[in-house]
Amino acid sequence: MRNIRFENIMKSYNGDLILEKLSLEIPSGTFFALLGPSGSGKTTLLRLIAGLETVDSGKIFLGNTDITAMPIYQRRVNTVFQNYALFPHMDVFDNVAYSLSIRNIAPDIIEDKVLKILKTVHLEKHVYKSIQNLSGGQKQRVALARAIVNEPDVLLLDEPLAALDLKLREKMLLELIELQSTLQTTFVYVTHDQFEALTVADHMAIMNYDGEIEQVGTPKEIYEFPVSTFVAAFVGSTNLFKGTLHIVDGLYKIELPGLGLFEVTEQKGKSWACDKASVFMSLRPEKVEIAKTPMSGFSNMLEGVVQSIVYHGRSTQYNIALQNGMVIQVFEQNEEHFPQEVIDYDDHVFLYWQKENVVLLEK
Amino acid sequence: MNIKEKIKYYFVENSAFIFSTPAIMWQMLFLYMPLLIVVYMSLKINGSSCWYAVTLAHYKALLAYDYLKIITRSVCVAFGVAVLCLLCAYPVAYYLALRVPRRWKNFLLFLLTLPFWTNFLIQVYSWVFVLDHNGLINTLLLKIGLIKEPFHMVNTTWAIFLVMVHYYLPFMIMPLYSVLEKIQHDLLEASMDLGATHWQTFKNVTVPLSLSGIRTGLLLVFVPAFGEFVVPSIIGGGKHMFVGSLVTHYFLVARDEQLGAAFTIMSGCILIICALALNWVCTVVFQRRVREHS
Repeated sequence: MRNIRFENIMKSYNGDLILEKLSLEIPSGTFFALLGPSGSGKTTLLRLIAGLETVDSGKIFLGNTDITAMPIYQRRVNTVFQNYALFPHMDVFDNVAYSLSIRNIAPDIIEDKVLKILKTVHLEKHVYKSIQNLSGGQKQRVALARAIVNEPDVLLLDEPLAALDLKLREKMLLELIELQSTLQTTFVYVTHDQFEALTVADHMAIMNYDGEIEQVGTPKEIYEFPVSTFVAAFVGSTNLFKGTLHIVDGLYKIELPGLGLFEVTEQKGKSWACDKASVFMSLRPEKVEIAKTPMSGFSNMLEGVVQSIVYHGRSTQYNIALQNGMVIQVFEQNEEHFPQEVIDYDDHVFLYWQKENVVLLEK
Repeated sequence: MNIKEKIKYYFVENSAFIFSTPAIMWQMLFLYMPLLIVVYMSLKINGSSCWYAVTLAHYKALLAYDYLKIITRSVCVAFGVAVLCLLCAYPVAYYLALRVPRRWKNFLLFLLTLPFWTNFLIQVYSWVFVLDHNGLINTLLLKIGLIKEPFHMVNTTWAIFLVMVHYYLPFMIMPLYSVLEKIQHDLLEASMDLGATHWQTFKNVTVPLSLSGIRTGLLLVFVPAFGEFVVPSIIGGGKHMFVGSLVTHYFLVARDEQLGAAFTIMSGCILIICALALNWVCTVVFQRRVREHS
C-alpha cells in the first residue's frame, strides 16, 4: 500500500496546456475520486499514473519510487477503462488471466486466482462465456476482475459506470465500495458525476476547467465547506449571492443588493473576510425552510413569490423570485402524503435559514 | 388488392432476388458454364464424334512425375510469395493503420495503389531493365566498382520471387490495413497496462485480432500466384515450367485441349486443397490460446 504523489506536473497536448504546475497527494488505501467537468484534465491525470501518457515536466511518485519515466508495463497499477477494453478474441477466463499468463505463472495457480476473483465479482457462472455474449454490467465486472487479479498497488477507474443504467450503477457503486474495503487497495476513481463521487469516495479532489485542483477533502468537507464558488456550484446545487461584508462590533453581516442585511457567522482564519470586502454567499437549497406564514427561531428571512415547482419524488424544488429579481432554488422533503400547507404557483412565501448554514466565499 | 397492387407487392417482396439476377446470370454464363465445359473437355475422348464417349485417360497421363513436379513447384512458389508478402506487408500495414497521422493516411494509401495504374505486363518488363546484365543494378554496381562482372539476376528463381512479391504486395497490405485500422487503441493500452511489453502485446492482441486480414491476404496472394504464368515466362525466361505456363502451353501452343483441360481441373483441385490447408494453418499458428479448456 503506497500513496501517489504528483509534484509540479506540466502536461500539454498539441500546444494546449492541460495541467499546469499540478501537485496532489493521493493517500494510500483510500477510495479517491477525481471529480471535474469534461475537459478538466482528470482523465489525463489518471493516464499519467497508469503510464499511458508522459509528463512534460514534474515528477510522479508511487510510495518512494519515482515512476515518472517507468514503462507502463512495469508499474504495479491497473486500469478499468471507460469502455472496458476487453479483448474480443478471448473468453472471460482468458481476459482475466491475461496479466497472469504473460508473467509465466503456473497454469494451476492462474486458474485458482482467476476463479477466485471471478467469484468476488459474482461471475462464477460465466467463466467460459465469450465477451460478446455479456451484458454491460457483466463486462464491467470482467474489466474489474481483470484489473485486480494481479493485486496492483493502485486501481484506476476511468468513468467505469458511464455506460450503465441508473439502478445498475447504484448497485455497482456499492459493490465497488465493498471491494475497496476488502482489498484495501488505493482506488482512484475519475468521474464527472458528483453523485458517484460523493457516494464512493472517502477522499476527493475537485478539478476546474483550467486543470487546477480547487479543493481536496472528504465528501462531507467538500459539500458542506466548499472553498470556492466553482466547488460550491459544481458539487450539488447551490444559490450564490454576491454581496458586501460588514463587520460591526464583531458581528458579521452580509449586504445583498436589493435584499438587505443578513447575519453570517464569524469568519475565523480568513484574511480576505474584512470589513467592506466583496464576497459570495453560498446557500444550499435544502438548508432553506419555506413557509406561507411567518415563523420564528431563524436568524435570517427572505420573502419571495413561487415562480415554478419541480416535483422530484422524494423532494420538491421551488424556484422563488426574490424582490431584487433574482430566482433561487429551495428543496423541501416530501415528508407527508397530505401536507397541511400546500404551496402553489404565485404564492407569497417566507424563506428562513440559520446563519451557520451558509458559506462565505472569496471567489 | 387489385392486379396492379399485387404486381407491385411482388416486386417489392422479391427485390433482392430481382436485383441480383443479372449478377447471378453473369456468373452462370461466364464462370460456371465454361467451368463445366472444361470438365467435359477433360473427360472427352480425343477425336471421337460420339459426344458422350468419356474417359479418365487424360488424368491418368497426368499422374506422371514431371506434371506433379510442376504442380509442387507452383505450390511452393505461391506459398513462398504469400509468406514473403505477409512478412513485408505487415509492418507497412501496421505503420499505416496505427502510427501514421490521419491526414496522411489517404495519400499513402493512394501511393500504394499507384502501381495498378500501370499495365501488369509493363510492370514486369520494366523489371527486366532493372535486373538485366546491362540493367540498372549491374550498371550501378559496376560504376561504383563493387563488382567486376555483372550479376546474373534475370532468369533466376529468386528474380521470379522478387517480381511476384513486388506485384502482389498491395493485395496483402490492403486487407491487413483494413483489419488493423479497426483495432481499438485502448485494447493495446489495456494489454500494456496489464503488464505486457510491446512485443507481448503485438503477439497476444494485435496479431490474433488481425487474423482475418492475414487469412484474406494469404489467399488473395496465394491463389493468383499459383496460376501465374507471365512472370515465370518473362523474368524466368520460361526455363522452369509452372502450372500457369503449362496450361497456356497446352491450349495455345500444343493445342491439346483435352490434356490441358484435365491438367487445369487437377491443379484447380490441388489449389483448393492447398487454400483450405493454408486457412487451417492460419487458425492453428496464430490463434494461440492462453489455455486450452475442454
